[in-house]
Amino acid sequence: MTTQRAEAAVAPAIDIRFGQVGLIQVLIWTTDPGAILDELTGRVATAPKFFQRTAVALDVGPLGREPSVEEMRGVMEAVRRAGMCPIGLASGPATAQALSQPLDLPLLPPFREFHPPAEAHGRTGARRVEPVAVELEPEGAAAQVHTHPVRSGQRTYARGRDLVVTAMVGAGAEVIADGCVHVYGALRGRAVAGARGDTSARVFCQEFHAELVSIAGVFRVFETLPPELAGKPVQAWLDGDVLRFERLGV
Amino acid sequence: MTEIIVVTSGKGGVGKTTTSASMACGLARRGKRVAVIDFDIGLRNLDLIMGCERRVVYDFVNVINGDCTLKQALIKDKRIETLYVLAASQTRDKDALTEEGVRKVLDELIADGFDYILCDSPAGIEKGAHLAMYFADRAVVVVNPEVSSVRDSDRILGLLSSKTHRSANGNGGVKEHLLLTRYNPRRVANGEMMSVGDIKEILGLDVIGVVPESPDVLAASNAGVPVILNDDSTAAEAYSDAVARLLGEELPLRFLEEPKRGFFARMFGG
Repeated sequence: MTTQRAEAAVAPAIDIRFGQVGLIQVLIWTTDPGAILDELTGRVATAPKFFQRTAVALDVGPLGREPSVEEMRGVMEAVRRAGMCPIGLASGPATAQALSQPLDLPLLPPFREFHPPAEAHGRTGARRVEPVAVELEPEGAAAQVHTHPVRSGQRTYARGRDLVVTAMVGAGAEVIADGCVHVYGALRGRAVAGARGDTSARVFCQEFHAELVSIAGVFRVFETLPPELAGKPVQAWLDGDVLRFERLGV
Repeated sequence: MTEIIVVTSGKGGVGKTTTSASMACGLARRGKRVAVIDFDIGLRNLDLIMGCERRVVYDFVNVINGDCTLKQALIKDKRIETLYVLAASQTRDKDALTEEGVRKVLDELIADGFDYILCDSPAGIEKGAHLAMYFADRAVVVVNPEVSSVRDSDRILGLLSSKTHRSANGNGGVKEHLLLTRYNPRRVANGEMMSVGDIKEILGLDVIGVVPESPDVLAASNAGVPVILNDDSTAAEAYSDAVARLLGEELPLRFLEEPKRGFFARMFGG
């Protein structure tokens, strides 16, 4: 009957959402399972709670060649024995595509692209991966411009580029960009820059009343606005792991 | 040319129905042919405010379902020749409204040569409110000078710019107006209420009218006479001004200051 239909509409069986989750990537420099296991167990031991049963994506880009399926099975076994769960392949390098099917692992879109040529990597060199800015888009991708107010409950996302809003952003609205966010008006809602991990992205606004500002996943909620920023032109950027705010034009 | 105007707010109890009734009367009093439709299916109120609740035989849902003709369901106002009311159904719920059904009724009113169709939206952002705004050319967003009403209005303005027939077809979008109700200049001066300026700034829109808080509004509702018809009321004057601005006249906003009290009133209270 109609009432049942109405109830069914109220309580859906599933929800499909787009969201971002943090995911550890294991960059593969060698396919030697022994070396991988040694090193991973060492790292896992330093922070067992963090790494145990943790989902990871395998990134074969650093190898600089296409590993065989058997080699990769060995790698996966080593990663599993170290306590992590490989759930996919970072989809950056072309080689990953060929492996996806036989290994039955999904391809995951890149979060931070980092594929230096293999020869540049001396085996003695530091292996720590420095955060590298995402290359924003093929050249010529201008900023996405939004000329109307972004109202409460609305969300605007500029994929792979900057977002420019030439009107205000209301409380409860969200403006999101993979690059920088520029608001030429009052920012009362949430601003998210570097949504795919670009740590060099910034947030600019003409009148600062933001509820939340996030850059590359580092965010700050404003329960009360600092008086030196409230209503002022402000920019925000990431200084290491610290989100910094500053008045513009002083 | 028929213009479809939605009176909406998001939040409940801010004065949508009062505004719909008064603006419909105000437009009709100026000789326009006006139909005012209650979209609040299941919580029928407009007929009470208009004072025609005992004359409702057929309603909006009956017309949509083809139980009667539109002519049978339109209730002619007893005070103003050119004003008609289409009541909501009290026994049904919002699912009785469909996009095609609403479109059919509006098309028929347009074909009948009405100048204005006012859609009195229910509160909320669900189906009833969505359909009330969907075909609108203009929107009057009713706001009270307090934060939750302003927030909800911002949400509604967002929906008006994205979830309407005009926005979907790129016809320049819905023209939006703000109407402040329950405005109390004394409380604004004391900092207890938001001012016209605050609200204009937050919502980034111009104000088509400011209706002062007045006991006449409740009295008018209870009597079933839209407050705009009460000649002695400041609320009525404010609504008349808003109607004039809706028709393109430029008038300064009134009733933003506390009325000056006379010498005797000050001396003896009151």
